[in-house]
Amino acid sequence: MGKVLEVKDLKISFKTFFGEVEAVRGISFDVGKRETVAIVGESGCGKSVTANSIMQLLPMPPAFFKGGEILFNGENLLDKTEKEMKEIRGNQISMVFQDPMTSLNPTMKIGDQIVEGLREHRKLTQKEAEQKAIEMLDLVAVPQPEKRIHQYPHEFSGGMRQRVMIALAMVSTPQLLIADEPTTALDVTVQAQILELMKTLQDRLDMSIILITHDLGVVADMSDRVIVMYAGQIVEQGTVDDIFYRPGHPYTRRLLASVPHPNLSKDEPLQAIEGSPPDLYVPPKGCAFYDRCDRAMKICKDHMPEFISHGDSHCSRCWLHHPMAKQVQDLGKEGA
Amino acid sequence: MNPLISVRNLKKHFDVGEGMLKAVDGISFDIHEGETFGLVGESGCGKSTAGRTMIRLYEPTEGELLFNGQNVYELSSREMKEVRKNFQMIFQDPYACLNPRMTVEDIVAEPLDIHKICHSKKERRKRVMELLELVGLGKEHAMRFPHEFSGGQRQRVGIARALALNPKFIVCDEPISALDVSIQAQVVNLLKDLQAKLGLTYLFIAHDLSMVRYISDRVAVMYLGHIMELADSEELYNTPLHPYTKALLSAIPIPNPKEQRNRHRIMLEGDVPSPINPPQGCRFVDRCMYATDICRQKTPRLEEVKTGHHVACHLVKEINKEVL
Amino acid sequence: MMKEEFTISPDMFLPASEEDRDAEKIRRPSIDYWPDVWRRLKQNKLAMVGLIIIVVMSIMSFVGTEINGFKYYEQHYDLINSHPDSVHWFGTDELGRDLFTRVWYGARYSLFIGFMAALLDFVFGVLYGGIAGMATRKVDAVMMRIAEIIYSIPYLLIVILLSVVFSTSGQGSSLFVMILAMSLTGWVPMALLVRGQVLQLKESEYVLAAESLGADHRWILKKHIIPNTLGPILVNVTLSIPRAIFAEATLSFLGLGLQAPKSSLGTLANDGLAGMAVGHSYQILIPAIFISLIMFGFNVLGDGLRDALDPRLRQ
Repeated sequence: MGKVLEVKDLKISFKTFFGEVEAVRGISFDVGKRETVAIVGESGCGKSVTANSIMQLLPMPPAFFKGGEILFNGENLLDKTEKEMKEIRGNQISMVFQDPMTSLNPTMKIGDQIVEGLREHRKLTQKEAEQKAIEMLDLVAVPQPEKRIHQYPHEFSGGMRQRVMIALAMVSTPQLLIADEPTTALDVTVQAQILELMKTLQDRLDMSIILITHDLGVVADMSDRVIVMYAGQIVEQGTVDDIFYRPGHPYTRRLLASVPHPNLSKDEPLQAIEGSPPDLYVPPKGCAFYDRCDRAMKICKDHMPEFISHGDSHCSRCWLHHPMAKQVQDLGKEGA
Repeated sequence: MNPLISVRNLKKHFDVGEGMLKAVDGISFDIHEGETFGLVGESGCGKSTAGRTMIRLYEPTEGELLFNGQNVYELSSREMKEVRKNFQMIFQDPYACLNPRMTVEDIVAEPLDIHKICHSKKERRKRVMELLELVGLGKEHAMRFPHEFSGGQRQRVGIARALALNPKFIVCDEPISALDVSIQAQVVNLLKDLQAKLGLTYLFIAHDLSMVRYISDRVAVMYLGHIMELADSEELYNTPLHPYTKALLSAIPIPNPKEQRNRHRIMLEGDVPSPINPPQGCRFVDRCMYATDICRQKTPRLEEVKTGHHVACHLVKEINKEVL
Repeated sequence: MMKEEFTISPDMFLPASEEDRDAEKIRRPSIDYWPDVWRRLKQNKLAMVGLIIIVVMSIMSFVGTEINGFKYYEQHYDLINSHPDSVHWFGTDELGRDLFTRVWYGARYSLFIGFMAALLDFVFGVLYGGIAGMATRKVDAVMMRIAEIIYSIPYLLIVILLSVVFSTSGQGSSLFVMILAMSLTGWVPMALLVRGQVLQLKESEYVLAAESLGADHRWILKKHIIPNTLGPILVNVTLSIPRAIFAEATLSFLGLGLQAPKSSLGTLANDGLAGMAVGHSYQILIPAIFISLIMFGFNVLGDGLRDALDPRLRQ
């Protein structure tokens, strides 16, 4: 089964006044056909930068690719010219952003924006395109689409706008949809609708989805596989069950524990992670989670851990899983 | 025992040209000393406006707020300034609620300066250090500027500022929404700690229902300016009685794949409507699957249908036959 | 990915100590607002040129009169209207006075008038704009109408009126009248700017926070709004100085300038006007060049400041 997207050792940095900020420090992952891969992490971990880099939407300067490849259906996107990328964007890879208000042109009618998108990628007459636009709005469950194509973005609510965004993204049945925090700005009841919509579209169009979010509930709902990012690196990857039920990395574990769940008693404090993620202006030499990890060992400070596998497709990047670590722990238990 | 705060028929309307924006349209409830009262709802429900009107940042259109028996809205501005020492607020956006040109020390000391509490620079500094320590920040943070801190740290500065006057009541207006998940836990733990240590009473406004459930004793659910349901937090989450509350709870994704994927979810049609010129009867009528004629004509009152559990719905008994 | 060659030994897997980890550390060096503005300004070569010009001019306006030994009022009848030479570097005027010395003397007054007018604009503008911005909509509307009316009165008229009112013997106006004329209408743009800023900043969340703490309007203006508007205000002040200098020069050129023996660059230019036809064009050219230099200096500095303060250009 061919992989739709393969990211290999991607490195992206930003040139700033302070110097180089290493936003993405060597990440590798795949996305298969019809798969939903969630990238989870907190602000500053590099997930948005990664997503934008696939579509090559990062401003270059100040961003620059330091290394790695992004293979889409086998071809390296980093080797493509801007013209070639324009062909791919909106056509084979589409993106949906967090804030629909800034992604839609406030001075253009919604219908016109969809028509514009359609005619760019397909040879359609104005009339055909308008008809298609109505169909697309219908596809994303916007009520009374014939009326609404004549309206402006500000006349739509947040949820409706996000649907329009999705419609625009679906205009040419892309193979891959990148959704960057698509529901973060929406109310919870609307979020549920949008997630359902995305699942329906995925089934209908055989689409792969990269879902970027910080909401673990959304991850549990939608994803097949999960990638956990921290400070510009992947610290753990696996199936959704692996991550939720068998987390390997201390960060993943702490993240799961810091979200209140229904069975948590009120008298217990939430398991917060003290401090904040490191500043990538001075990236740490060893494990980036060292300062905040309660299971940190001496080796963690200066040496970056390697990926250790826990079984097919589940791996994490932590010295705790190194065979020698277990030995030392066992010895410690015996000796104490 | 008398409640610390009593809200009676509070209304706040804004004239927005094309009609009346009825952000808060008649809410009443009590908050007891030492309790955490959660106020939840989606955008446009009026919860933020309610919080701000309660501490009189906005003048109410109608209604009373009784604090220690006194109606706060009838106080003169001088009297209000005194009372303000007891009412404080923590804001949502840690990036916007701190003046970027002031040092942390000045920010935290501002309430002390406004009310001329400390009589010497030394005293002022001492108090600021105490407050910073209370929220887990240190001496070295005092001379820095807000932009040098992370969101979580800034929020803690905001909390330290709110504590400076030893208030009794703090309105927390979405204090964690803008923070990362692991930082949210930090701030929530801090708030709980402080509550225990200093005997604080909180009004916790949020749209993150799981967090509200965890931190609150009682919770009220707002929709378009009205309270739809009010109960103890466990009771509300385990046995929601109002159709809106049920839909709301079922929409929250649970961070547990097996549970989440096997849930039956109640999907609401359409979007949250606008609070400008809201519908006449029950505010939820356009999206409610049980709506009947009476729902369109008459606004249901918030009534106690179980001990401590209040619901505003004409059909509450019919909908919840198994429970009531 | 380069694999580090290092030997892994068991003791590396012992737990790290508490002190070794610092979760709250702030790693990035702190960079305050104004130093950052200065840094950005320094990068702007043109603005730096402007700054240097202004500094040199200001120093010379005090020191320059003493350099070549001639007094500004010293008249040498034998040397009237002489072209620039090695003794009189800028030549002499129709009364035989050394122009080099007189230029710096004049620059002193030009700069002084410019600064004073800008200062008064600043004070009145900030006060008026601040109050209008914080006041109720009705009061604000009234205040703005008044300001607009005042601004539409040409300052020429005002100068003439004032010099009649405060009439002194002889031609021309006193220093006091000049400054007053400049600032009587000049404060309006500043007030508009400040009012606009106040209206915008009034809605900030930190202002709301201050209100919740019990702050009144005065406190909010003083502590929160004005400090955050200093940037645009500074730009405006820097740019209003050349405006005032030019306005003064214009008035002087029309004969309404400072009374002799006081002179500004404008009055010098006016004096030199007659000399143009008879081949003494240096008498008007030189003061004109200096007026232009000063204005250029302030203008590029002001532009540079505006760019340096623009948060969007911040890296």
